[in-house]
Amino acid sequence: MFGLEYPSIDNLVGWPTYFGDDAFWAMNKIGLISLLAMAIPTAMFLFAKRELVPTGAQNIVESIVEFIDTQVVLPAIGPEGRRYTPLLLSIFLFVFWGNIFEVIPTFHMPANARMANPAILAIIAAGVYIGVGFKYHGFAYLKDTIWPSFVPLALRPLVGLIEFLTVFIIRPFALAVRLFANMLAGHILLVTFGVLCITLWRLDALVVILPFSFTMLVLLTGFEIFVSFLQAFVFALLTAVFIDSSLHPAH
Amino acid sequence: MLSILAADETSGVPENPILPATYELFWGAIAFAILYLLIRYVLLPPVQRVMNDREATIQADLDAADAAKAKMASADSELADQLAGVRAEAASIIEAARGEAEAERERLIGRAEREVTAMQEVTDSELAREREEALSSLRPQVAQLAVGAASRIVNRQISVDDALPVINRQLDNPN
Repeated sequence: MFGLEYPSIDNLVGWPTYFGDDAFWAMNKIGLISLLAMAIPTAMFLFAKRELVPTGAQNIVESIVEFIDTQVVLPAIGPEGRRYTPLLLSIFLFVFWGNIFEVIPTFHMPANARMANPAILAIIAAGVYIGVGFKYHGFAYLKDTIWPSFVPLALRPLVGLIEFLTVFIIRPFALAVRLFANMLAGHILLVTFGVLCITLWRLDALVVILPFSFTMLVLLTGFEIFVSFLQAFVFALLTAVFIDSSLHPAH
Repeated sequence: MLSILAADETSGVPENPILPATYELFWGAIAFAILYLLIRYVLLPPVQRVMNDREATIQADLDAADAAKAKMASADSELADQLAGVRAEAASIIEAARGEAEAERERLIGRAEREVTAMQEVTDSELAREREEALSSLRPQVAQLAVGAASRIVNRQISVDDALPVINRQLDNPN
């Protein structure tokens, strides 16, 4: 009606390969962003000096490490959780850098708006917290999950089934879908307002609406930067909470 | 946005917008595995070491400050003790000096009193002696006058030598 040409969902999230066609090692934009989400934090850490009085990149790196320590590890697990700091820090950095490419020009795509990286991270998180449960409690971890002793006998089969599904299926599924859906929704929002701005620019009569649409686009871009950080934090924090629930099942 | 709109090519584009492509899983897993291993074994340990060193340095400085503070408090206490000792010593010295001064004063007063008493005694004895001398020197004249007066009264001549013992007795014991 207004000449609005909204791209199909394939154009929003599907990216052609740069090389390799459909081989398992083929590279597209998502693969490239994944590699950059690995390379950029690595470069940050490598460029950071190791001085007693921090300057430049060292400030940023130490702030991130301290943030993970004080806002994720200690509140969720406690001091004994510090052995998981490398994993939680890696998850936070990988998710954040995978997300933030949504607002970086020429990329404009969060890697986590595709299901691959959220699924991988959720499987790793599930593997770790289930592994921690078996490591510290042995078979009792599985037994307490599917046959919880704190529940009345009549309810144990039902609660056990719910617990089993929660721990082994729903938690990792929810971790992956939460990240994927949030980033995909943000990506679609930005595309919507971007397309709207382009369309309004072409329509002489409606160009007066363009400032509102453009303002929304700018505001949403800022909001998506916040969401990129928030989703990385939430993913790392939930992983820590699940690890803690495996360390201390009674809680 | 332009890059999105430009992605119209269909070759290699995943068919399902939700299910991930194998190569996306592959590169995602590779990238995360490399990042985790690097952070776990290469990147994080030196950063944590520097942070721990800094924390240890700050803690050591704080401990040193606490120790210096405690030492200062101890020195203050020691100084206060010393001051109290000095004050007590000064008070005892002052008290001793006061005692000595009092004793000296008493001694001087006593000596002065003794000297005054001695001088008074000397003066009294001198006065008595002079009085005695005066009386002795006057006694013959008084005897002459008394005898003369008595001779006139009784109208006969009385010898001074006879009357002298009576006159002396009267002079010595006027009552």
